[in-house]
Amino acid sequence: MRFDTVIIGGGLAGLVAGISLQQAGHRTAIVSTGQNALHFFSGSFESMEEAPERLKTLFAGAGIRLHYSAGVRLMPLGVFREAALSLEDVSFLPDPCFADKVLILGIPGYLDFFPSFLAEGLEKQGIVCRTSMLNLPESVRESPAEIRSVTLARMFDRNWERVVQQVRLLLKDEDGVVLPQVFGLEDPSVPERIRQGIPARVVFAGTMPPSVPGIRTQLLLKRRYEVLGGTYLGGDEALEARVEGDSVRSVTTRNLDRHALEADNFILASGGFFSKGLRSNPFRVWEPVFGLDVAYDEDRNAWYNDNFAEEQPYMNYGVRTDEALHPLVEGRPLQNLYAIGSVLGATRPEFGSGGGLAIRTAFSAVDQILEAV
Amino acid sequence: MDPREFDVIILGGGIVGAGTLRDCAMRGLRALLIERADIATGASGRNHGLLHSGARYAVNDPESAAECIVENRILRRIASHCIDQTDGLFISLPEDDMDYQRTFVDACLKAGIGAEIIDPALARQLEPSVNPELIGAVRVPDASVDPFRLCASNMVDAKLHGAQVRLRTEVTGFIREGDTVRGVHTRSAQTGRTADYYAPVVVNACGVWGQQVAEMAGVTVGMFPSKGALLIFAHRINNMVINRCRKPSNADILVPGDTVCIIGTTSTRIPLENCHRVSVTPDEVTLLVTEGAKLTPSLSETRILRAFAGVRPLVSDDSDPSGRNISRGIVCLDHESRDGLKGFVTITGGKLTTYRLMAEMATDLVCRKLGIDKACETATTPLPGSQGRSYEEVAREIWEAPSTAQKAAAARLGDVVTRMPNPSRQDEALVCECEEVSAWEVNNAFERMGVSTLTDLRRRTRVGMGTCQGELCACRAAGLLAKAQDCAERERADLLKFMGERWKGSYPIGWGDTLREAEYTQWVYKHVLGL
Repeated sequence: MRFDTVIIGGGLAGLVAGISLQQAGHRTAIVSTGQNALHFFSGSFESMEEAPERLKTLFAGAGIRLHYSAGVRLMPLGVFREAALSLEDVSFLPDPCFADKVLILGIPGYLDFFPSFLAEGLEKQGIVCRTSMLNLPESVRESPAEIRSVTLARMFDRNWERVVQQVRLLLKDEDGVVLPQVFGLEDPSVPERIRQGIPARVVFAGTMPPSVPGIRTQLLLKRRYEVLGGTYLGGDEALEARVEGDSVRSVTTRNLDRHALEADNFILASGGFFSKGLRSNPFRVWEPVFGLDVAYDEDRNAWYNDNFAEEQPYMNYGVRTDEALHPLVEGRPLQNLYAIGSVLGATRPEFGSGGGLAIRTAFSAVDQILEAV
Repeated sequence: MDPREFDVIILGGGIVGAGTLRDCAMRGLRALLIERADIATGASGRNHGLLHSGARYAVNDPESAAECIVENRILRRIASHCIDQTDGLFISLPEDDMDYQRTFVDACLKAGIGAEIIDPALARQLEPSVNPELIGAVRVPDASVDPFRLCASNMVDAKLHGAQVRLRTEVTGFIREGDTVRGVHTRSAQTGRTADYYAPVVVNACGVWGQQVAEMAGVTVGMFPSKGALLIFAHRINNMVINRCRKPSNADILVPGDTVCIIGTTSTRIPLENCHRVSVTPDEVTLLVTEGAKLTPSLSETRILRAFAGVRPLVSDDSDPSGRNISRGIVCLDHESRDGLKGFVTITGGKLTTYRLMAEMATDLVCRKLGIDKACETATTPLPGSQGRSYEEVAREIWEAPSTAQKAAAARLGDVVTRMPNPSRQDEALVCECEEVSAWEVNNAFERMGVSTLTDLRRRTRVGMGTCQGELCACRAAGLLAKAQDCAERERADLLKFMGERWKGSYPIGWGDTLREAEYTQWVYKHVLGL
């Protein structure tokens, strides 16, 4: 199978690159194992200094509205973090004191949301807090062991009016309501509808993973990519590359067996250790598809900081690239391959980290591919 | 009666202290236990979880072997809910001497241990994970024991018999009158409040820290701290304990425990001042994996969950201060006859398997000193939770059709579970998916078992001990503790401390899937949850 560009990795970086290239009329394919960091996306980007209009437009095309303004967001454990660019339903606030009195609503048997921590964090801001519980339909309460964010979001996609009714009944004199981020998995309009139905300022606070806004973002971006004609090979895994000279010719995958994916350009957006873009054993760290040069410490004792709270050196490891994001093999760049997102670790600090790194490097690779045509 | 006065004060909340507290309380003494940190924080909670048959000691230390088999049989009866009756194998590999097997079996039989030579083919049938190249196998009555549960059960029963327990309370000095110990000065680690407690006898059951405690009282007990490193694997590979049939050496015991299995151990002498912070080195990890794979080849392919180390409380011989002649048996010291210090007793050495006998010896001595003539009944009286019913029967008494989590709760708590308030639907929400611990069990531990931190909770419920090492459950449990203690700020700090402690056991084995999981955990806690 032949494409203009083959992208390995279906996370934020891979999808942004894929959508951009499809929009420019390229024929692309994305090879994705399925799960990626978007499933744990907090919903906002911490390192976006400038407003990237290009990203906003791209997300808007997928039906995702981004909110840009300097402010804070309420983290699940009750602390505030600075945020610039956030999904619309993320607990983004211009300032921590968003209300005088707040009603925090938990869900019976749902342990992945922390009203006590949130209340303590808000009370520190001088906000008066009251906690209460939403009432769940009997059918869900039957199996409390399975009450997780995605299960709840699926149910609330159909029953969001009941949530609005209940909140209105529970509300006394509060001018703010905090709800868990478990709304709008398949139907992205649900958080906004809930917000409009409640006569108080509604804030959705994060939960333990999986992240409902993150999964929704992934679903919408993937849908957009496919609408634009992209070939999304989900549940597949890139295995091996055929390289001739300084160019990649093709990549084989687990599902396609002998039918290698051929392309003019390749993008490696396979993520860090968690996503298996990097692998490790007691002796080394390697990149499994192309065997790229990886920047890491040879002495394993240097991989870690024994303090959990400190920065961990291994999280900075990533593939080595030249100026143009072409990864190196034994010091020589592969001219038609680009490495983007977390597989770079902290080897290219000028592109930022996390979501910012994914987006900036994706755009950089896309621009280079389009310019060369 | 002055509430600060007791018949006996026991120092140390490990298994020996807990067992002694129970024995004293059952003999009618007003007993108080004082523990600096939490239950089972020293060697009691940092071991294989092996209920020895005694076979391992049969050749070199027949006396210990005989003690082990007697206690092994007793504990199977009185602590059935803490014990998984797995049996064990001693296997011989092609490089091992088969003459040793004969010597070994003879020694076992002499010590009263039912050791039976079986066909290697039968051994493979009984334990499919065993190294298929084995040339010999001996079946022995080894078993797996949950030391935390055992320790907690002893405490609970002691309390039911009227004993008192002060956790997180440090002894800062002894109250002495001339050559007699009258009591102890203490300080609460939580509140800083000081208090004095009085008793005619004080028992030092502080394990390896017993040396410092004895010094504080003015007598000398020479401990020889010996570090043992162990690895926990993410699956329960084996159903029987697998030992190597040779002279005891490094990494030659693999013990199944709940959902995991543990390989160990090494033996390295360390300075006493390092006993608080023992860690596992990369070399020890390599040694444990390499040697362990000889017992069960699949070990080399299995994900390692955690590396940890404990310190054996070995005692140097009185007449041999250089430590060349270290005893591994039980040491019960009457400091009155030994050092001329009245009212002070040290119980140390020994093994987890023989804790009950150690407690009986210490309590006999206490009773003699107090002039009390009452027989020990701990060998025949089951612990709460072990009243002779299976966990399935116990679970069915509360739940019509118990789920796996409900059965797990019944297995962990034994028949005590039937006396607890029935859980609501909401209480059955799972906190820990790896070990199937519900909100109900967490709240119960908080309300009835002296839990104030996540680490305390782990020791009583197994929260955070499973495959994810606390990645998801720690946070859920922290949410419940924050609510129960009404202090989110302290709980947030506790959560960070707990994750830090889990990380200390993960990074020595931080590669492959463990590193993947570590990266995920870092991401979730820092960027998603905002810790």
